[in-house]
Amino acid sequence: MPAVTARGRRRQNALLPYLLLAPAFALLVGMLYPFGLGLYYSLTNYWLQYPHLFRFVWLGNYVALVTEPLFVYALEFTVGYALVAVLVQVGLGLAIALFLHARIPGRSVVRALMLMPLMMPPVITALMWKIMMASTTAGILNYALSFLGLGPINWLGSIRGAMASILIIDTWGNLPFVSLILLGGLQSLPGEPYEAARVDGATPRAILRHITLPLLSPFIVLAITFRMMDALRIFDVIYATTVGGPADATTNLHMLAFQYSFQWYQMGKGMAHAVVLLALVVVASAVLLRFWNRAATHTAA
Amino acid sequence: MGTRRGWLIGTLVGMLALLGVVASLPAQDDSALAYYRQAKINWRLAAGQSLTIGLNKHPFTESLLPAIPEFERLTGIKVEYLILPEQEYFSKLVADLSQQRGEFTVIMTGPMRNWQYATPGWIMPLDEFINDPKLTDRGWYRLDDFYPGLIAANRWNGKVGGGVGEGPLYSVPVLAESYILAYRKDIFDQHKIKVPTTIEEMAEAARLVKKNAGIDGIVARGTPAVPTVATGFISGIKSYTDGKWNEVDDKLNTTFHDPRSVKFTQTWVDMVRASGPSNWANMTWYDAMEAFAAGQAGMIADADFFAATYEDPKKSKIAGKVGYALIPAGPGGKTYAGLWTWGLGMSKATKNKDAAWLFIQWATSPRTLLNATVEHRNYNPSRVSVMNDLRVQKLMGGWGGGSYVKTQQENLKTARVAWVPQPERTRLGDIWARSLHEIYFNRASAADALKKASAEVDKVLQEAGIKK
Repeated sequence: MPAVTARGRRRQNALLPYLLLAPAFALLVGMLYPFGLGLYYSLTNYWLQYPHLFRFVWLGNYVALVTEPLFVYALEFTVGYALVAVLVQVGLGLAIALFLHARIPGRSVVRALMLMPLMMPPVITALMWKIMMASTTAGILNYALSFLGLGPINWLGSIRGAMASILIIDTWGNLPFVSLILLGGLQSLPGEPYEAARVDGATPRAILRHITLPLLSPFIVLAITFRMMDALRIFDVIYATTVGGPADATTNLHMLAFQYSFQWYQMGKGMAHAVVLLALVVVASAVLLRFWNRAATHTAA
Repeated sequence: MGTRRGWLIGTLVGMLALLGVVASLPAQDDSALAYYRQAKINWRLAAGQSLTIGLNKHPFTESLLPAIPEFERLTGIKVEYLILPEQEYFSKLVADLSQQRGEFTVIMTGPMRNWQYATPGWIMPLDEFINDPKLTDRGWYRLDDFYPGLIAANRWNGKVGGGVGEGPLYSVPVLAESYILAYRKDIFDQHKIKVPTTIEEMAEAARLVKKNAGIDGIVARGTPAVPTVATGFISGIKSYTDGKWNEVDDKLNTTFHDPRSVKFTQTWVDMVRASGPSNWANMTWYDAMEAFAAGQAGMIADADFFAATYEDPKKSKIAGKVGYALIPAGPGGKTYAGLWTWGLGMSKATKNKDAAWLFIQWATSPRTLLNATVEHRNYNPSRVSVMNDLRVQKLMGGWGGGSYVKTQQENLKTARVAWVPQPERTRLGDIWARSLHEIYFNRASAADALKKASAEVDKVLQEAGIKK
């Protein structure tokens, strides 16, 4: 009898991992099915209004992308925007984290207040800004700037203004996230290297450069990775403010994929745009994760 | 169309959907039912069946919801509904219609949308229901009480490039929207500015308002999408060409680059650039309407019923200071304003078609539509009897010192669907609006930008198999 029990237990043990993994598998199927369907549609000319035209075009949608002027621009804008946004947001986030890490009075209040933008849905954030950024004569933001002797700036109604506006709104909403990651990193750094450096009489600048930044690098790379993935596929802010305009200036791949799919119902073309965007995000995150691994092992050693 | 796009908070919240399921209230007879029972049809012929209805967030929808229990008591039909903001509504509707799932049985639609849905055969012609004496008491329902132009707008014979006003009726109009010029009468009077009757005069008036009153001379929609060209702009260009120029010709070649079109577009964009708001390129209908109501502009050529906002002192700083006029005309002196009606139609996938028609008949009957306007500000009435009702006259009669109703009624005589019927109307409009941006930002001359846009539309029409 004991043998049977042991075998039974062994069988139980063998099943257990699968049982534990079952929800994950379910989730995986739930995620893979829409993805597979999207990939499949991207190989067809699926157009909701014209079911009779449906046929396989294989890579036709992808080949057509190359000759589509707006696609080339959208690709450039997607990548360019992501690079600038990550640079600005991680740079500012680092500055804020260093500031909040320092022993200054009232910093706990600032930390709490800083979380506010994170609690706002991005669409609401964007619409709030849109109202503030209204025309040069009516917007409250320009009114405020006038006291500083600045502006008025044509925020959403000009090409450069619209690009800058998207960056400002996106940064406002996501800066707290970056700052928090980096602040958490700063607070977890070991104290010994700092004491040793101080004993050796290192300047604050040298400490920042040779101790803080190298030790913090895994966190910085992590923040870059998160922000890069989000900035590449930014949509809500653009949709709620410029809808890709003016003159297509803020049309990125995500916006274009949305327009083809849900405004013009050309699912095949829309999905091809979406797949290119996905590839971009996957490549970027793979590269960045490799950096992160390296930085993490490096620091640990 | 699209003036109600997203409808206020609807746009704001974007993703938010309201699923309302109406529970049958305890059966109780009331006087309202007596009115409907005058119709010589058996309202209970589909009792026990159920309907699911897709509705766009809109004042008409607001007016319908509280009355639905009344319909359920009258007919014994159970009604469930889904209300969505406009953009989401149309996306979900196309998804449902294209799969023919019949999730939406009665739908909110209208002329240009019908072209898109009738082409693949997704929606039902309604004539067979109207002409069936078992289903419709024509004497009671009075189809001829609707403004003839509005019924015509919802008929289409299915021929790409023409045939509006002929063939089957695809939806019954629940309101009328056309396009007129609203201007600041106080400023025009004070500075002796002439109310414009041509596009050149309009540009001049805009310049003078800006110069003399220090506010924007004109405000208009300007986002890079179809609503920007769908109201004042298309009404203006069709009037400018005496109704002879169309965005696509008989052979379905796109003609944005026709010299008359180039000339008008140039004048319009120059006017907006010189005398319009700095954020024109980012303005939705709502922004434009609000800016005018806030006293920030001298003119707006857009939906007539925006007057309800301008004339409401709670929402407007310019109540009582607005004059109304027809869209500037062309050399022929006649105006050809565009037209849109929200209407109720029926999905072909509907299983309970008789029940669906009973609902449409009930919802578009004189009493229901009168209630929509009187109690819920559903403007402008699509039925003559509603427009002539004393309570409605009291509501609208004073706007612009009486000039509103006069202008609106005058306009309705010649207003018609401005677009050439074809299922890619939205796409064409999007491309058109984007070419206006190219011109506005001096990226290309009007001639070049419009020529490029024509080629782009031609390509889409070919790809969709509409044009050989």
